[in-house]
Amino acid sequence: MERKLLLFLIIACLSGCTDFEYSPQQTFDSDSPRDLNKKNYERLLQAPVNDTLRFIVCGDSQASQNEVELFVKKANELQGLDLVFLAGDISDFGSLQEMEWLVRDFQNLKAPYFAVIGNHDLLGKGADVFKRMFGDLNYSFSYGGVKFVCHDTNGREYKFNGTVPDVNWLQTELIADGSVSSYIALAHVRPYTADFDPNLSTLYTDILNANPAMLASFYAHDHSFGEYHPNNSRIPFIVATSLGERGFLLVEIINGRLTYERIDY
Amino acid sequence: MSASTTKYIATVFCIIAFSLAASGQKLRFLIPDGAIVQHAGSIGYFSAGIDYDLFKNRKGSLDIMYGMQPHSKGGGFSTLSTKFAIRPFEITAAPWLIIHPVNPGAFLSYTFDDDLSLVHDRDQYIKGYYPLSEALRIHLSFSSEFKFNTSTLLKSGKLKSATLYYEVNTNDIYLTNYVQNTKGLSVTDIFKAGIGIKASF
Repeated sequence: MERKLLLFLIIACLSGCTDFEYSPQQTFDSDSPRDLNKKNYERLLQAPVNDTLRFIVCGDSQASQNEVELFVKKANELQGLDLVFLAGDISDFGSLQEMEWLVRDFQNLKAPYFAVIGNHDLLGKGADVFKRMFGDLNYSFSYGGVKFVCHDTNGREYKFNGTVPDVNWLQTELIADGSVSSYIALAHVRPYTADFDPNLSTLYTDILNANPAMLASFYAHDHSFGEYHPNNSRIPFIVATSLGERGFLLVEIINGRLTYERIDY
Repeated sequence: MSASTTKYIATVFCIIAFSLAASGQKLRFLIPDGAIVQHAGSIGYFSAGIDYDLFKNRKGSLDIMYGMQPHSKGGGFSTLSTKFAIRPFEITAAPWLIIHPVNPGAFLSYTFDDDLSLVHDRDQYIKGYYPLSEALRIHLSFSSEFKFNTSTLLKSGKLKSATLYYEVNTNDIYLTNYVQNTKGLSVTDIFKAGIGIKASF
């Protein structure tokens, strides 16, 4: 009898501590965060602009909640960090719950953070979850004279139908603007790899190189560090390793000159 | 899953239902032992279904549930579930109340939605690229039941009992995350709750 009561207490506690869930496939619940990229941009605008712009590019946080906690601690120790980019694969299966777990940790970052869509985030109802929680799949913003162009390059998820990456959108975003001195591109899958639309790799690379103020383009997906110059590309295509591998890139822009270092934590 | 596949499955269900109805007396065992309504529990905002007793002394049960997840609650789809549970423990708290403190179970849920496929397209992905199905979830569950003996309470002959239950469950996606991250996630992160009422005839 006592054993049964103990079991009963365990299940009662478990039930009391857990949330009600309508469906693992639902795209939001009553307390899901909303429009986080926009809200983080508003936070960024409150920060004073200085000569040095420092930001993190990390990616592939999927199924790595242990490591994400450590990453947040490490990032908060860095001096003068302006913003953080998570370059896709926030989730392993595109579920609301996985993206909420990520936000639970990332909301402890002192610097504003921005999410970019990854191929895993497009599984199931993931695109709808991402759009409501973070915002558009293609978006851009400027800070300190630098324009960040974040976009969807997960061509395989669209059966390589020629629409992803959206080259027309990119061309429009990269039209020279007097208020912008440098451009940075960010996405998940880099060109000339198996999950990038093979018919668009060359055009895409040419579009990024066509803007003389473009400094570099950053990616994740490979789960290893790397720098590439496909077709003798002027700009570097730089890949951050996965958070699961406990690594990220710390990037610095001073007077239009970009440097970066690989950090293991 | 495409609309045509959904229609196909619905048609098959209808055919089976009509065949059963036509078979009549021979299939009396297919007449349900109870009816269930449930809120949450990962099979829809609201779901309803039928219950079959299994084994001697009703130590097990098989439920077939159909759940709705409205647009306003982040859905716009429906879910069909088959739930199995056993009741190893029983506490007779009063002549009219039996408590089943912990009932382990497992269930499958299939969600009908154009964005969700049962298996990933082999033309699009190599085998094993994404290991889990989008539409089909495999769940583990634990429930606690308060069974009110209505035939004693209400002197009603038709309704044998009314059972109030709450249930926690997890699924293959959450478990996959948890086993790799036992520090970053807790057991309460991956278990999700639901409540329901069962009427047994």
